[in-house]
Amino acid sequence: MTAIANTAAAPTAPAALQRIGNVVRLHVANPLPTLVVPWVITFIIFGLNIAIELIVVKAAGGLQNLDPDAFQYNGGISWIAIFMMITAVQAMNLTFRFALGFSVTRRDFYLGSSLYFVCLSLLYGTGITVMAGIERMTDGWGMNAAFFAPWGLVDQPLMSVWGIFVMTLLLFFFLGAAVATVWVRWKAYGMYAFFLGLAVLLVGAAWLITTSNSWGIVWGYLTDHSPVQVAAATLPVTLLCAGAGFLFLRRATPRA
Amino acid sequence: MTNIIEVDNLTKRYGKVSAVDGASFALEEGGIHGLLGRNGAGKTTVMQLLTGQDFATSGTIRLFGQSPVENADVLSRVCFIKESQAYPDGFKGKHVLKSAPWFFRNWDSDFAHALAADFGAPLDRPMKKMSRGQRSTIGVIVGLASRADLTFFDEPYAGLDAVARHRFYDHLLTDYAEHPRTVVMSTHLIDEAANLLQRVLVIDNGKLVIDADADELRSSATTLAGRAADIDAFVAGREVLDRSRLGGLATVTVAGLSEADRRAAASAGLEASTVSLQELIVSRTGGAHIPEENVA
Repeated sequence: MTAIANTAAAPTAPAALQRIGNVVRLHVANPLPTLVVPWVITFIIFGLNIAIELIVVKAAGGLQNLDPDAFQYNGGISWIAIFMMITAVQAMNLTFRFALGFSVTRRDFYLGSSLYFVCLSLLYGTGITVMAGIERMTDGWGMNAAFFAPWGLVDQPLMSVWGIFVMTLLLFFFLGAAVATVWVRWKAYGMYAFFLGLAVLLVGAAWLITTSNSWGIVWGYLTDHSPVQVAAATLPVTLLCAGAGFLFLRRATPRA
Repeated sequence: MTNIIEVDNLTKRYGKVSAVDGASFALEEGGIHGLLGRNGAGKTTVMQLLTGQDFATSGTIRLFGQSPVENADVLSRVCFIKESQAYPDGFKGKHVLKSAPWFFRNWDSDFAHALAADFGAPLDRPMKKMSRGQRSTIGVIVGLASRADLTFFDEPYAGLDAVARHRFYDHLLTDYAEHPRTVVMSTHLIDEAANLLQRVLVIDNGKLVIDADADELRSSATTLAGRAADIDAFVAGREVLDRSRLGGLATVTVAGLSEADRRAAASAGLEASTVSLQELIVSRTGGAHIPEENVA
C-alpha cells in the first residue's frame, strides 16, 4: 500500500497551455468533420456553380452577350459561416460532455475550443482568400465569375477579403458557442428565453430606428464604411458572445 | 493511510427532490469499493458530484485533499466511466482510444489495444452506431487502461453478457494487482461483484444507509434454518431481518451473531449460513420493513 501513498505525492496536472493544447487535439482527433468535409463541400458547391455558369454562357451564345457582372452575385461561399456555427454548437454540446468524461475542466475545454475556433477561422479565411486570389488571376475562372470573393468583395483588396472572412467566421463560431452553451446549461427553456429575448431585441431596435427616423443613418453607416470596417464592427459582438459562452459553460453540467 | 475521498454532509437538490441528502463518508487510498443502491437512489449523482461534473447544493467534497470542481490537478488523476457518456459527432472507437492518452497520464496504449482485442471491441465503428454493450466495452477499456489513481465505474457493463462481465472482473483484478489504485464501482449485480469489493457504500433515497467493510457486512447477519419451534425459541429477543416458514420448517436471518451464539444455534439443531451481500442490501433498502441502523 505504500506504493499508492507515493503516487499521491505528485499531484500536479500538466501545465495549463499543454492541457488547452490537448483540447485542441481532441477536436482534430477525427479530422474529417472540421478539416476535410468543409473543403470538399465548398469545392462541390463551387464546381456546381461553375457548371451552371458554363451552361448559361453556352445558352447565351457566348460571354459577350452577358452583363460583365452577371456571375458576381453569388452567395455560395456563405454556407461556410453556417457550417462553422454548427461546428461550434456540436463542440459545445457533444464534445463538451465527452471532454468532461475525460476529466477535462470546463475552463480548459472552453479555452481550448476557442483556440481551435480561432485556428479554424484563420485557416478557412486564408484558404478562401487564396482561392479568391486565384479567381482574380484567372479573370473569374475565365468568365468574370466571383465565387470566393463575390459581390461586395469583388473590388476589395485581398487583405480586406481575408479580414472579412476571418472576422465573419469568428462571429459565427462564437454565436454558435454562445447559443449552444445556453442549451447545455438551461436546455429547452434556455432556448425559448434566448430566442424570444433576441426577437424582442431585434423588433425593439427596428421600432426605435423607425420611430426616430434613423434608417438613413443605418444605411449611411453601411455605405460610408468599407466592408472590412463593417466586419470589424462585429468584433465586440464576437467578444461578447465568447465571454457569455465562457460564463454559461462554467456552471454547465453534462446531463444527457 | 490517507483518505482519497472525503465527503462531508453532501447534499444535491434538484428543485424539491434531494438526489443526495446529507451523505458523509471517506475512502482510504487503494482498493476496489462498491457504491450500491437501487435505481434512482443517487449513485450516479454522487459520482458526478465527486468528479466535478455536477455541483453540490451544500456540503464538501475532497479528492486527494482538494475540491474536484474545475480542479485540473485533481481531475487529471481521476477517470469516470458512465453509461450515459456522450461522444463527439463522428467519433469512432479508435478516436476514443487515440485521444485518451492526452487526458490520462498513466494511459497504457498496449493494454488498451490488448483489451480491445480481448473484448472484441469494434474500434472502427462510429460510437453512435454501437450497441449498448459495445459502448460499455469502450468505456471499460478506457477505465482500465487509463490506470487513473482514482477510477469511477458507473454501471460499467450495461448490456454486456456474463462472459464479457467476467472478463472485466478478471482484467480489473489482474491489473489492480500490478497497478494498485482506488476503484469505486456502482452496479446492480451485487453478488457478481461482491467478491471484488473491499468496502461497500449503500445509498437509498439519497441517504447513505450502509458504510461498511464487505467482510464485516457479510458476517453481520446469518441465516438460520431448522424446525420452526427451535427457530422461534432461538430468535426470541433478537433482531430478525427476514423470516420465512414452510410447514414445520423455518428460516430466519438474524443480525449480529457472536461465536457463542453460533455454537448455541448449532447445538439447538439449527443450520447456519452466511447471507449474501445482495440479500443484506435488499433487506436494508426496502426489501423488508426493518428500521435502518448503521452497521459500521
